[in-house]
Formats: sequence, structure tokens, C-alpha cells
Amino acid sequence: MSDSDIILTAQNVSLTYKTRTGWLKKFQHQALSRISFELKRGDKLGILGHNGSGKSTLLRILAGIVPPTSGRVICPNGIRRSLLTLGLGFREDLSGRDNALLSAMLQGHSNRDAKAHLSEIKEFSMLGDFFERPLFTYSSGMRARLGFSTALYSGIDILLIDEALSVGDATFRDRAKQALDKKLGGDQSLIFVSHMPGQMAALCNHVIWLQDGHVKLAGPVAEVSQQYEQQLINQP
Amino acid sequence: MRLKQFFELVDIQARMSLKAEASKLYLSYLWWILEPILYVLVFYFVFDVVLNNGRADFLLFLMCGKIPLLWFTKSVNSGSNSLVQNKGLIAQLDVPKTLFPYITLQEALYKQWAVFLVLFGMVILYGHNPTLNWLWLLPLIIVQYLFIAVCTLIGALLVSYVRDIRMLIQMGTIFMLFTSGVFWDINLIKNEALKQALLIWNPMVYLIDAYRSILIRDQLYDTQHLAALTGVMAACLALMHGLYRLESKRIAARIVAS
Repeated sequence: MSDSDIILTAQNVSLTYKTRTGWLKKFQHQALSRISFELKRGDKLGILGHNGSGKSTLLRILAGIVPPTSGRVICPNGIRRSLLTLGLGFREDLSGRDNALLSAMLQGHSNRDAKAHLSEIKEFSMLGDFFERPLFTYSSGMRARLGFSTALYSGIDILLIDEALSVGDATFRDRAKQALDKKLGGDQSLIFVSHMPGQMAALCNHVIWLQDGHVKLAGPVAEVSQQYEQQLINQP
Repeated sequence: MRLKQFFELVDIQARMSLKAEASKLYLSYLWWILEPILYVLVFYFVFDVVLNNGRADFLLFLMCGKIPLLWFTKSVNSGSNSLVQNKGLIAQLDVPKTLFPYITLQEALYKQWAVFLVLFGMVILYGHNPTLNWLWLLPLIIVQYLFIAVCTLIGALLVSYVRDIRMLIQMGTIFMLFTSGVFWDINLIKNEALKQALLIWNPMVYLIDAYRSILIRDQLYDTQHLAALTGVMAACLALMHGLYRLESKRIAARIVAS
């Protein structure tokens, strides 16, 4: 593959949080330290790590939402990257239809585009009449279904996903998995964040294991997962 | 994000917000008209019945000042919180940060039409029939919107640095209530230097007097002053947009970490 196929590069990405905890009192935390990698078109990269290992923070930096404290993220012009977020900007007091419209527009669709997708979203979410009812009448499973269905309709080059697959009941989970597989086929690039190696094996071919903001290990999914699980077992 | 998309999003978000708010109230959209009417009634009771200051149209005089000012204070107060309030979205989406203040501004604008209608109704009840001069209200409303947008963008940015500034902004809007000429007439101030200073440094003083000029006195306001004000506000607004664009990711970082 030539260099032109690289669609995202992280160079020594570090992030330090400074949080004010009181009058003139500050708490500093090194969330990420010197992370580097390259993502080529069609790559499926997993970021594995325990809670608090910095994976969600890294995802946010890769999505271009916040800047790293030092280091660089390079993404060529015209490459569209977006966090796949369940229930982005959902409001309790609006109907499923209105929420889906808002969410799709927030993800970069025009009003007309978003409206054209609404029937597909309704169909895929299997919400039926609930699609027209306000969100506060939804169960958590229904909410997740609406969120997933809405998020799926975004035409972007790099999908960034934060442990999104464990949604809804078993039937819907299968549909979600199939839909995602279909979307991920071919040239779609993916960065997937999870603390579960099982999910990772199904979606990714290459994995970075993050621990305390450092890259502990990087390599093919089987190898990294095995070491990661080994550590889980060895831990008291 | 393209400009058209930005406007579409501002418009739809504002309308959805209003829809959601109305859906929670029994009287729903009727409150848009009821709220200003109740305001007028409260002011009528206090200033005409209890205090009775002698001026026959004092209530009208008050409302011509209070209603435009209310638009300003409501917009700036809620708009200044708009960035920190949308922490969830800002943490997940790389969008122009001006989006959030503009959504609150748009919400307030849509409501303001109803409020202005109440005001116009009141003006007519007091015997001032609409004339062609009323068309001059449109530039006034536009310039007031620009002024509100500038103040809200500054406020929201400052609050994203230090949340305590919210308290100062609330105090600031109370200060505006007393210094904008809602309760007094700028034309009755004898000290010419003070009068000029008020007109120049507090755009609401000029705007409120201009509204009264059209609605009560049926006279055209000082258009040169309005032209100058438009220029200054447009320049400030351009500056704020530049600053938001430059700071976009740092704003997100601050809000995510707070």
C-alpha cells in the first residue's frame, strides 16, 4: 500500500488533564502518553483497555473533537471521521422521529437528507408506533435501538465506535451486528474501543492495548487479546 | 459544516426545543402570548394602580422599553450557558461551537415575535395607529439581534473558561434593566455629557428610545446612530466568529475537562 492510503496518523499523541478541584487547587492527570500509529483505508483497528486506561479520551482526540496536549493527529482533507454515538443529542420530550431527525442532522446530514432516511430508521429500529411517541415513554432497549439505527445512517470514511454493540435484546443485537458488518465491509475504516477482547475479535484485525495511557502492546488481534486475557486472569 | 447546514440545524434545533417546551405545558404555545400579557398586567398593577406616577401613558412607555430589554436579558442569560450546558454534545461532535449560542438565540427570537405582537396590540389600544414609520422597526430589530448575538457569544465563551462568570452575567442583566432607560426617559436627562455617554456605551438606551420614537412619538429615530451601531456590531460579531473558529477545539477540551 502506498502512503496515500493512510487516512489517519497519530504522532506521539499525549494528553494531560488539568481539573480544578478547589480554589487554586488543581489536579493533573496524564491521560495519554506518546501514542503513535497509522490507519490505512479499510483498516479495522481496535483499542483495548480497562476502564480509565484512556481509550475514550484517545477516541475523542482521533475524532478531532479535542486537541492533544502534545503530538499531532493528521487526517487528510476531505476524509470524514465521526464518532458513532448512540443517542447523540437525544431529548426526552421529543418523539423518536424528531430525535432521529435532530441526531442525523447533527452528524452532518442536511435536513432533506435526514428526512429521506427517517423511514429507513423507523423500519430498522423496529419501534413501530413508538417512533412517534416521546422518548420518555421508551424502555432503555428501545432507546438503544433508536440510537443505533440513527447512528448507522452516516456516510463517513472513518467510523469511531465506543463499545456500542451491546444494545437492545438478542434479536436486535443480531440485526445490529449484521448491519454493522455490512457497513464495515470493503473500504470502510474503523476504530473500535472496548474493554472486551471478544467484541474486538469480531470486528478488528489489528489491536492496540492501552494501559494507563501507554501502549502496552500492539499487534494482530489474536495475539494481543490472548495476552490481555492472560493479564486479566493473573490479576488478583 | 456548510453555512446552509448550519442555519438549518440552528433553525430545526430551536424549533424542536420550543416544541418540547410547549409539549410539557397544558396551555402549550398559548404561553407565548400569555407570558407577555401577564408581564403587562403586573407592571400595570405596580406602576398605574399602586405607584400612579401621573403620566397617562406610563405603562405603554414602560412596556416599549421592557419588552425589547426582556428579549436581550433572556437571550444573553440562557445563551451564556449554552456551551457548558451542551457538554454531552460537545464531547462527541466536532461542530462549530457558535452553533450552541445561536440555537438559544433563535429560540428567543421565535418567541419574541409573539411578544412584539402583544406590544403592538397594546400600542394600538393606546390610540397610536400603525403608520409607514413602523417599517423602521425592522432595522431596529435586526440591529438589536446583532447586539444580542455579540453579547451572547462573548458571555458563552467567558463562561466556558470560568463558570462563575454566569453569576456576573445575571447581575449584569439586572444592571442593564436600570441603566437602559426602561423606567426613565433618556430625553429628560439634562446633563448632555451623561446623556451622550449613555447613548454611546449602552446600545440598549439608544434602541429603547428608538422603539419609543416609532411606537409612541411616531417619529423616525437617529438613523446615523443606527448605521454606526450596525457597523460596530457587525465588526464585533465577525471578530467573535473568528475567535470561536480559532478556539473551537480548546473550547471543547475545556468543557470536556470541566
